[in-house]
Amino acid sequence: MVKYGMHNKMVELYNVDTIYEGEALPAIKDINLEVSRGEFVTVIGPNGSGKTTLLETVNGLQKVTRGKVIVMGQDMSHNSLKVRKEIGYVPQDFISDPSVPFIVRDVVLMGRYGKIGVMRRPNEEDIKIAEEAMRIIGIEEFADRPIGKLSGGEQQKVMIARAIAQEPKLLLLDEPFSNLDIDSKRRISDILCRLHDENGLTTLMVTHDLLSIPKRCERVIVMSRGRIIAEGEPADTIRKIEDLNVMGWSL
Amino acid sequence: MIPLPFQIILTAIVASILAGITCSVVGVFVVQMKLSSIGFCMSHAAFAGAALGLLLSTDPLLTALVFSSIVALVLGPLSERAKLSPEIIIGIMFSLTIGLGFIFLNLSPGVAATQQALGILWGSIFSVTFDDLLLLGLLTFFIIFLLTVFFKELQSLMFNRKLAEASGINTSLFYFLILFLIGVTVAFSLKLVGGLLVFALIVNPASSALQFLYDLRKVMLVSPFIGALTCLVGFLLSLLLNFPIGSSIIIVSSFTFCLSVLLSPKRRRG
Repeated sequence: MVKYGMHNKMVELYNVDTIYEGEALPAIKDINLEVSRGEFVTVIGPNGSGKTTLLETVNGLQKVTRGKVIVMGQDMSHNSLKVRKEIGYVPQDFISDPSVPFIVRDVVLMGRYGKIGVMRRPNEEDIKIAEEAMRIIGIEEFADRPIGKLSGGEQQKVMIARAIAQEPKLLLLDEPFSNLDIDSKRRISDILCRLHDENGLTTLMVTHDLLSIPKRCERVIVMSRGRIIAEGEPADTIRKIEDLNVMGWSL
Repeated sequence: MIPLPFQIILTAIVASILAGITCSVVGVFVVQMKLSSIGFCMSHAAFAGAALGLLLSTDPLLTALVFSSIVALVLGPLSERAKLSPEIIIGIMFSLTIGLGFIFLNLSPGVAATQQALGILWGSIFSVTFDDLLLLGLLTFFIIFLLTVFFKELQSLMFNRKLAEASGINTSLFYFLILFLIGVTVAFSLKLVGGLLVFALIVNPASSALQFLYDLRKVMLVSPFIGALTCLVGFLLSLLLNFPIGSSIIIVSSFTFCLSVLLSPKRRRG
């Protein structure tokens, strides 16, 4: 058993159950998971297998009903607010209302607000980092456009830029390619790989699409009905689940 | 037009402008965060509170403030935890607070049909004293100060609460602060437009500004400008036509909103 808070572990989940309010069955059940510093892990599974709940449990947006979640050595049942400042999060299928009064530049900068802290304003450095994040993702031409006027794929890129602008130590991505065309998917995947290679960014990504697994991914975790049913090196694990006939996600 | 002493008119004009600014700044949060149901309940709770004040022969402003603050501090967290839909909150709280308000008015001997009682229903700007004006001025300053100091947290919360929480902002703290500010604003504006109409003064200017603008900072500047102007025009209209002031202000602000919808570039194609 790994001791809580060992510094080389970014994420530790021990016997975790998460049950949504009003539900009898847990969305995730008996999850034991460790993600090391600098690791790129992809969680795959069919719709409703608990992938999103797993990510939201890791960053403390969902409270656990059993077990323990430790992120960067901190118990998320007590310190989630502080730890979340170091966690970049890209939600699934984020779409803004077309009339909302928020321009892209501000939305990306918002990624840094938690880190900047209360009663302090973003300084030039923060603005520069947000602009660099927009440049990396290739959305600088949209900087002054209202976010609600962008397409689903463009808004998804804004969310990724926002997470990068946070300069996180841990990046959680929930179906980050779901609205992207093939070119954008390849470009964003390359960017995520580069961030992982150059900055050693620990990345936990969720997808239901086996073809979306980035080439830098070191470990694949397979979920079905709220449980982890397989994990390992990507090629082997994918072969294994193909043998188990889970490509149609009939588990 | 009824001839009135200059000092009373000046006090009323300043009160209109201050209430217009305060309500429409708070209104941006209400509209953007879809808090209408909770805010609507607060305005009626303030009405019930003011009625209780008349019954107990205490300052109606104080009891209105207590009632709307209780709604802000209890109903907000309660509805959040109990996951009650806005329709349920509005259905139950609206009728409960209005019912309580009328019971309190009915129990107040010799008050039910007096100017005082009508004042908290429809507003009575000429009863605004210099002390009221001072309090309203302090509230305006307080809200603008909080908005300036916590702008980035409030902006993030207004954009998306879940994302704000994910980036490490204490969203519950700021959410309850917003609810509290709505409650206080409603209570302080009661004398101007009354408990039944105050909420329109909160919603209309912000909704009008949002028809034209995509930048929250600009909305925050334009909304109070519209709020102050509609209050002022409404006040002058009521003097000219001898209409109730609260109703005149709401008619002007509703007309402004309709005009904004018609002229909104957000609704135009091409």
